[in-house]
Amino acid sequence: MKPSRTLFILVVVFALTMLNACLPAPGAGLQEGVAPAGEKVKLTVLTHWGEESLLKPMRAKLDEYTSLNPHVEIDYQTVTFDQLLTKITTARAAGISPDVYHFYNLWMPDFVEGGMLDEPPSDVLADIQANYSPGSQSAVSYGGKIWGYPTELNTYQLLYNKKMLQEAGIEAPPATFAELKDAACKLAIANPDGTLARSGFVLMPGWDSGVVHPFLSLLWSNGGEYLAPETYQPLFNGPQGQATLQLYVDLIGEKCADPSIGAFGNFVEGKGAMLIMANWLRATLKDAFVDGYENVGVAPIPTGEGGVSTTLQYNWLYGVDSGSKNKEEAWKLVQWLNSPAGEGAASPIGDYLTSALGAIPSRISDQQALADRLSDEFMTAYVRSAANARAEPVLRGGQEIKTALQQGIEAAWYGQKTVEQALNDAAAEAERILAENR
Amino acid sequence: MASPQDRVFTTSPAQLASSAGPRKHRRRIDPKIWWAYAFISPVLIFLLVFSVVPIFFSFWVSLHSWNLITPIPEMPFVGVDNYTRILLYDDVFRRALVNTFVFAFWGVTFNLVLGLAGALLLNSRIRWRPLWSTFFFLPIVTAPLALGMMWTALLNKNFGLVNALLGSIGIPPQPFLSSPEQALGCIIFMAIYQYVGYYVVVFLAGLQGIPQDYYDAAAVDGANARQSFWYVTLPLLRPVMLFLVVTNTIGALQVFDLVFAATTGGAETSGGGPANSTMVVVLHMYNTAFKFFRMGRASAMAMVLFVVIFVITLVQLWLLRHRE
Repeated sequence: MKPSRTLFILVVVFALTMLNACLPAPGAGLQEGVAPAGEKVKLTVLTHWGEESLLKPMRAKLDEYTSLNPHVEIDYQTVTFDQLLTKITTARAAGISPDVYHFYNLWMPDFVEGGMLDEPPSDVLADIQANYSPGSQSAVSYGGKIWGYPTELNTYQLLYNKKMLQEAGIEAPPATFAELKDAACKLAIANPDGTLARSGFVLMPGWDSGVVHPFLSLLWSNGGEYLAPETYQPLFNGPQGQATLQLYVDLIGEKCADPSIGAFGNFVEGKGAMLIMANWLRATLKDAFVDGYENVGVAPIPTGEGGVSTTLQYNWLYGVDSGSKNKEEAWKLVQWLNSPAGEGAASPIGDYLTSALGAIPSRISDQQALADRLSDEFMTAYVRSAANARAEPVLRGGQEIKTALQQGIEAAWYGQKTVEQALNDAAAEAERILAENR
Repeated sequence: MASPQDRVFTTSPAQLASSAGPRKHRRRIDPKIWWAYAFISPVLIFLLVFSVVPIFFSFWVSLHSWNLITPIPEMPFVGVDNYTRILLYDDVFRRALVNTFVFAFWGVTFNLVLGLAGALLLNSRIRWRPLWSTFFFLPIVTAPLALGMMWTALLNKNFGLVNALLGSIGIPPQPFLSSPEQALGCIIFMAIYQYVGYYVVVFLAGLQGIPQDYYDAAAVDGANARQSFWYVTLPLLRPVMLFLVVTNTIGALQVFDLVFAATTGGAETSGGGPANSTMVVVLHMYNTAFKFFRMGRASAMAMVLFVVIFVITLVQLWLLRHRE
């Protein structure tokens, strides 16, 4: 071989080596089977509990597990909520899925249809069936199967600033739509230039859950329906839906609320007097509420004429990736996290949820063991609301339908569409999404 | 005309072979050509894998329904359904397309005018020139996310500094980013603030490349300052303008980070508000792909945007070169 040709081949080999270095390592794709015996098992756990106050206690729980199981090593990864779905799906596509992930149950249908989740082993299934309420079991089920351990349970309630209500001469929190409007208008403070220095009721535009979950809670409390139970046909554009959205539009039109004072942070900072929000805000309120946590009032969702106060409930769950090479160890970890630490004791996750996050644990034994933590005024109201809670429907395209409704609601808030047109357009879009997913 | 040496590197082996004519023996290819290909092969392979293949893959995915989770060989083929859906039924996509065009047109136009004015200012005998240069160029080195957050705070309807200043001179407060009518204008303003420094620098380089002789000759012919500008400066800056218009229009049509930063109030919000008034194509594409699991539809959006950018670029090149 001529020297020049040898050099040419070396250059090409170098180029291919560089390219190879950019590609995933062999075996980095979807893996199956069990880790070789005797080797240390490495598990990757992904959650959205990344803030310092949430990260440390969770890491402590995982450290406790590894000290009890020295053959296991845990790589704990966290991302923000808005990045969680992207992280899970892109990691899956890249063949580097975490072994265990904590996720929102609305994403479950797509995860299941994509073959992404491992079916829980029989002992895990038996544990979930025996120790969780039918509502929690249904929240983590799809296609007639349970897909993971239910963890945090969130409902919505009307939060209000006791001090502000007192100063405005409002003796009791609003219980009906009419009272909500009256109270919001009394609590709103206008600047001389017409802008609001304080919003009577805080809206949360731009965030699908922040718009749709409070709306659905009010809709159900007004006797309306979101989607039909079996067919999932949209029903939110009926008369009750229109009356509910009209309430918001009136609040904005009469300058009792302003979408530009639009994030839960405004309630925390005292720029808003009332807000419909989930219980996970408790940790933030305890740390930063402008008038002190003792001034946070919690009341049931106000009702429309003849309605019963109803709240939306949504759940999160821990699942195991079907491509994990350590499924058995992954399920052991998840089961340990969700099982009582001893006779009459709470599970590590129950302890974590109630101490760090302010969420309601789904496990019945956790609710009993941690009754003292769930008994302050704030948590008691939320726990009580679970009795009249309705689960967010879990269906394929659920996220997209929710966003379509959010966009319809916001179009009415900003006066781009009438209430009727906004809800009808959102319903038509929901019909299209349902048809595509059939 | 290309030199023989140039031809070695600009003619492909296939062309050389075909140009050999009906000879009995194949002409031996110059080993230098193979060497050239060998040395550029790392870059070629990189481009192929990370640019060319993804474009074709994206087109292929746009003809399928894919949720990013299902294995690629199992993606259902849906033909042009994704294109039909986004072009005929997706109101948000159509809105995003219009917003993107508006953003690109006004953003590039204002930046061209202001960038040229800034360059003329810096090219004159102005005092404190380094200070002005810093003033123009500082925003370009700031992260768009940071700028977006800064302007969000300044333009807050109820608590922002800008409204406080407007109030002090008797102008009523404006809703700015919380108004569907004003929000896109605010985003365009932020883009102008951020990128005008880049235009200034490029225009300044162009201005300093114009020989003084032309101005001297124009002066001898009796041209005043305005005539020198119209008949000497502007024509000679046309290549610079062509470069700025084409590259920045392409960049503006792909805008994402600035809109995302200015319209997401927290980790929970998905941007493009209020009521989709600032939704742009790439942001909608991102939401469609990673929030709704619709990679096929998002890929169709990417292909439509690709075609739009391609056509606009060709038109710009034709217009600006045709007039030369």
